[in-house]
Amino acid sequence: MKILQLIFVEPWPWWIGGIIIGLLVPAMYYFLNTALGVSTGYGNIAKLIFPKTKLKWLNSDKFKDIFNWRFFFILGIIIGGFISARLSGGRLLIIDMGIFTQSLNWPYIAYMGWFLLGGILLGLGSRIAGGCTSGHSIHGIANLHPSSMLSTFFFLLLGAITVNLIRIFILGGV
Amino acid sequence: MKKKIAFLCFGIIFGFTLSRVGASEYDLIYTMFTAENLKLALVILTAIIIGAVGMRLLILNGGKDYKGKSLEIKKKPLNKYNVYGGIIFGIGWAISGACPGTVLAQVGEGKLLGLFTMAGLALGTYIYALIAEKNHNIVSD
Repeated sequence: MKILQLIFVEPWPWWIGGIIIGLLVPAMYYFLNTALGVSTGYGNIAKLIFPKTKLKWLNSDKFKDIFNWRFFFILGIIIGGFISARLSGGRLLIIDMGIFTQSLNWPYIAYMGWFLLGGILLGLGSRIAGGCTSGHSIHGIANLHPSSMLSTFFFLLLGAITVNLIRIFILGGV
Repeated sequence: MKKKIAFLCFGIIFGFTLSRVGASEYDLIYTMFTAENLKLALVILTAIIIGAVGMRLLILNGGKDYKGKSLEIKKKPLNKYNVYGGIIFGIGWAISGACPGTVLAQVGEGKLLGLFTMAGLALGTYIYALIAEKNHNIVSD
């Protein structure tokens, strides 16, 4: 069963991933009349954690129902990752994180803090910019929106600068 | 409810694809930014092109969904916050080796540190709500 091996075990070539992700943009408009996007859904999670918040933005219409479509979309992405990992036969719990944890010898709590910090910047940045890699870089540029092109330029510019600084000053040039 | 299940299915396809193509791999994001391996850049570029062609076809087809309702294409405002937010996001992308979508696939795959990135994202979104409380013009979407 070579074909099953290719679909579920081997990493996909770039073009298959690109085509499927690209098709999600028109497909979600055609079937659900909704723009592809992920980051606003973290407002649902924030409200799950702070259900009694009085903050206006978290009490806007978007979050009237915490278990709205955004919640189900996010849940689906987690399930999709789970199915992929289970079918390809990886470990159930992976405690390392690629080159980063392989090159360093930090106590685990320091890694937790590092990734928490990265997440905070992603959450804050995507809300201020008005979207993330899905909503701006893929959905927005596919629709030729100037705000998405501007945001994506800075996503990539600062991503490249920061990774190279991390490489030199933290990972010792690996 | 039917609609929520449809969103769940689209999410599963998205998460499965992100994971199968390696977008949830820290190393592939890292090597994209060091220009050693441009696989993910090609994934993003292909997705943009296919998405743009698909959207053009939908618009040529009358710009309607399958029920015949006009498409509500969400256009985000162009302002200086695209730059400020873009800078903060780019640094976060590099630190975590993930973006808001791929970190969810990481969590599904069982990557423990992805759970901390995900918690950070919820916290960062909450911090945004705190800032937006006093600065109404930051609300960019």
